[in-house]
Amino acid sequence: MNHLLEVSTYRRVKQRTFAILEGDVAEPASRFCEIFIASLVILNVLSIILESVPEIHDVAGTYFHIFDLFSVGVFSLEYILRIWSYSEKYTEAGDSPWRGRKEYIFSFYGLVDFLSTVPFYLQLLMPGTDLRVLRMFRLLRIFKLSRYNSALDDMFEAIKAEKDSFSSAMFLLFISCLLFSSLIYIIEGHAQPEIFPSIPAAMHWFILTIVSGWGNVDPVTFPGVVLVVITQILAIALSAVLTGVVSTAYTTQLARREALYEMEIREVLADGVVSEKEEITLKNMQAKYGMSDEQVESIAAQVRAEKNLSE
Amino acid sequence: MLKQQKITLMEILEGSPKQALSRYAEWLISSVVLVNCTAVILDSVPEIHAVHKDFFHELEFWSVMFFTAEYLLRVWSLGAKHADNAWKGRREYIFSGFGLIDFIATMPYYLHVFFPLLDLRILRVLRLLRILKLSKYNSALQDLFSAVSSQRRAFGAAAFLLTIAIIVSASLMHIAEGHVQPAHFGTIPHSIYWAIVTITSGDGHVNAVTKGGEVVALFTGFLGVCMAAILTGIVASAFANQMSRKKSSYKAQLRQVLADGVVTQAEKDALKRLQQQFRLSDKEVQTMMEQAQAGKTP
Repeated sequence: MNHLLEVSTYRRVKQRTFAILEGDVAEPASRFCEIFIASLVILNVLSIILESVPEIHDVAGTYFHIFDLFSVGVFSLEYILRIWSYSEKYTEAGDSPWRGRKEYIFSFYGLVDFLSTVPFYLQLLMPGTDLRVLRMFRLLRIFKLSRYNSALDDMFEAIKAEKDSFSSAMFLLFISCLLFSSLIYIIEGHAQPEIFPSIPAAMHWFILTIVSGWGNVDPVTFPGVVLVVITQILAIALSAVLTGVVSTAYTTQLARREALYEMEIREVLADGVVSEKEEITLKNMQAKYGMSDEQVESIAAQVRAEKNLSE
Repeated sequence: MLKQQKITLMEILEGSPKQALSRYAEWLISSVVLVNCTAVILDSVPEIHAVHKDFFHELEFWSVMFFTAEYLLRVWSLGAKHADNAWKGRREYIFSGFGLIDFIATMPYYLHVFFPLLDLRILRVLRLLRILKLSKYNSALQDLFSAVSSQRRAFGAAAFLLTIAIIVSASLMHIAEGHVQPAHFGTIPHSIYWAIVTITSGDGHVNAVTKGGEVVALFTGFLGVCMAAILTGIVASAFANQMSRKKSSYKAQLRQVLADGVVTQAEKDALKRLQQQFRLSDKEVQTMMEQAQAGKTP
């Protein structure tokens, strides 16, 4: 009996750890945990940047070292706790505790957590490693922040949803790069052989024009002037296409999310009672989608009004 | 007998989903095109040309043979497109955009054989046109064009504004600085070049020397920012419109399917085809499905 009780305490601690680390809304400590880790990450990144200035490094080198030791300690603890507690992710009868753990370890965040911490220990084992490489790995810690902010996920998801438009915009860019750089090579290659000696050199000019609006070359022939002017205008048009694709992707993503949330509310309100569990689900969903309270309120009001109308 | 083969060949080359081989044909042609374009680009670097001249020549010969064979096979097999008249389908292909691209992409080599004195640079660019063959396989590109062309009135208006902005700022600059810097602003066409560069890149690379010139230069740069914003807005709304058009027609179809309460296999296939055609993601479709069902229940 005593043994059983002990096991359940162990399970409870593990479950709570999982809830805290996963940012469950029902767990007040998760907010503190989030703020603590996020501020530590920001301080870390600041210290890496400052440390790279030789004058500051000379004066405060030891403080930076102590701070890094402390951070590595915290992050290692976080990593171990995460692996340990993620066995609680899948709790149905047949699931092995390693299912959730494996999922975490090989997820984007799992790899970031690993790669941003482990190089420190590698340095202890192999002291000859280049410090710059280590610094780069430490900078990976900034990606830990994206766990608490869905911006990065949002971006990837939006791009994935519109990948056809993106790829055709890229294709357009690719084709125009080939055609325009070969044209300028023919037209201006004779007149300015030191600037356009080959098509790859002309491609450099084209890409510069597209990204900065000006390719840094003044054409000397009249067809060259016309071509440069067309390329300049093409540059704005192409950036407009890319911007248009991105903004559409974001807008449709937002609409999709609101629709999903609306579904959930409709389901919750269907039986007329909002249980505590349902409320938590809605809160978690709101946090995950980063929707404001007003947005949520207006969706709920709409659904309620529709319901009253049908009754 | 031959007729059946003609139809099969047409389906392979035209990318019919019935023929598994058509996918490979697409890959093969695309990779030959990409290898070719890379070779043309590298061949234009004098150092590389000096060393690998013979290899590039050989490659060009075999690619031309390949593209010629592709072109002839297409012309031959497209005779099967319209059962009544073999040359109707062929004519359609030969004078279509893709047919012309295929022709122009192959021709330079023969041109060079018959007119050996032509400028090599021009031939090289004609060879690079082969890249356009790839657009046949990118249907999203056609979507992009249709989205943009649906807003052509707005684009026309933006082009009009752009022209006015260029002419006004060029004339102002000519008045302000024409006598001070005659090399750059001595004539209005000279100033127009400066105005276009300033509007598109934000800086015309000629420093104004008078106070009036400075004001005009800043004003022109600011106009450039406005123009970029207008163009971006038009394109973005074109995309958004296209997306919502696709979605509403998919939704209409979905509602029709769900109306009788039964989803038959044929209806499922039709929905799947529509989804592919409109390039809607599975997630979007699922959301719409749930919405349609929720709308039905009460």
